[in-house]
Amino acid sequence: MVGAEEAARLDRLEIQVENGGGGAWEYLCLVHKLKPRRSDKVLKHGLAILNDPKARSNLGGEEWTLYEQVAFAAFDCQQHNVAKVFSLSLPLPLHMCDCVAVLSKEFPGSLRVGRLEGMLLEAENSWAEAEKVYARLLEDNPLDQIIYKRKVAIAKAQGDLKVAVDFLNKYLEIFMSDHDAWRELAEIYVSLQMYKQAAFCYEELLLSQPTVSLYHLAYAEASSLQLWFLLTAFIEQVLYTMGGLENLLTAKKYYASATTLSGGKNTRALYGICLCSAAISQLTKGRSKEEKESSDLPSLAAEALLRDYKYRAPKKLPLLNSMLKNMKLSS
Amino acid sequence: MAADCCYEVSQIAYVKLVLHALKHPSSAVNGLLLGRLRQDGSTATVEVADAVPLSHAQIGLLPALEIALIQIEEHFEAEGLSVVGYYHANERHNDLELGNAAKKIGDHIFRFFPRAAVLLLDNNKLQKLKTGKGRDPAVQLYTRDSSRSWRQTGSDGSNQLTLKEPAANIVLFDYISSEKWQQIVDFDDHLDDISKDWLNPGLFD
Repeated sequence: MVGAEEAARLDRLEIQVENGGGGAWEYLCLVHKLKPRRSDKVLKHGLAILNDPKARSNLGGEEWTLYEQVAFAAFDCQQHNVAKVFSLSLPLPLHMCDCVAVLSKEFPGSLRVGRLEGMLLEAENSWAEAEKVYARLLEDNPLDQIIYKRKVAIAKAQGDLKVAVDFLNKYLEIFMSDHDAWRELAEIYVSLQMYKQAAFCYEELLLSQPTVSLYHLAYAEASSLQLWFLLTAFIEQVLYTMGGLENLLTAKKYYASATTLSGGKNTRALYGICLCSAAISQLTKGRSKEEKESSDLPSLAAEALLRDYKYRAPKKLPLLNSMLKNMKLSS
Repeated sequence: MAADCCYEVSQIAYVKLVLHALKHPSSAVNGLLLGRLRQDGSTATVEVADAVPLSHAQIGLLPALEIALIQIEEHFEAEGLSVVGYYHANERHNDLELGNAAKKIGDHIFRFFPRAAVLLLDNNKLQKLKTGKGRDPAVQLYTRDSSRSWRQTGSDGSNQLTLKEPAANIVLFDYISSEKWQQIVDFDDHLDDISKDWLNPGLFD
């Protein structure tokens, strides 16, 4: 995850390069370091450097890393970006193969280039061929994390989510401290509506990185998502399950901790507290006073939201106000 | 119920939803459709007048869907519009299946508006449109039939789904070439930075 300052520097550089102000190499190095997904820009500016013999020789040994970076960018653009078909007139597949060919010539038999060859096949949707390449590479390098992840990517790209989940679980048995993998698995579980399993993944992340507010938020959302679907599906028969209430209480707790970690500035967490409180009061209507909500938290969250909207989004303030009034969180 | 109903999508709604999908090419996106029901004698037409992009995050597709619904409904009530449908673009380029999450959100909207439309972006159609001067919208329409499941309606040749403005695809391509999608804001963006407006005022000025 990229820090705000670095993200700002990246955006500034990007604008500068896009407007012909130079600094392309600096931009590409920053992208390489921070790993945001800006494939179309990387492709454009990377290719510009590679196609200019003088600029290329200035890079010295870094030339090869640039080839690799541009290859990745080209795979990404060809695969996903429909817009590329409209705006770029370069024949992309030609450049993809070029980059990989240049690298295999310079570094024959290399694992790193072998992976690129596999990814080239993936980009061309030749899944079976790509799997063969990876199987071969795995024989000599059985603990290569990247190749395992490519296998997951292939499964995901073909829509085999259950297979992707399987692979990821096997991967995590070996490499259990890979946070990105836990996140990816959680996201796949959410897309399969397996919220309990997703919550388990977020729990792992929370244990190892308890100060990352994003994980608190995600856990809260996973906890409340299943309940939302249940409630909206059976809206006539109101579900008063203890399980439902527990999930809401858990969710509220994690929205609260996300708020604390982010210094009260996280809009989603504040909204989360408000929504959970409203849902909890609905569910506990008619129960004894002791069991009801007794903290100031919901109204504090409401106040914080109102303050923020007043200064930064005044046009939306009336909508927020009326929503909070209906939830009885403000007067 | 939906068999004798036409769906007319305005240029604004159509362009917004496609631009939203193009802005986030590597994830699924979704949004709400706003409009009204028009009755001309025995024909009913759902006019989709506008769209509000909701989210593009991969962490579920429901970050505060509840909040978005409440605020969006309230805002558009003043214009005589209500939520009449939902749009969705899948994560994978050639995935043309309406997923479970999309169906559930569709079900929720159906409860309040029985002629709810679910529009699924069709990337293949979108690419084909580049070559011809197609007047067909690059989306598939799904409506709920009597068996309570979402069924695709009017594929090639049927006239249940139309674009209100005939030049909508031409306008769309203009915006795509000028990379207009970079300016589109969804509810997710708003939650990350509330100064960003999900109404996208001035997007088409």
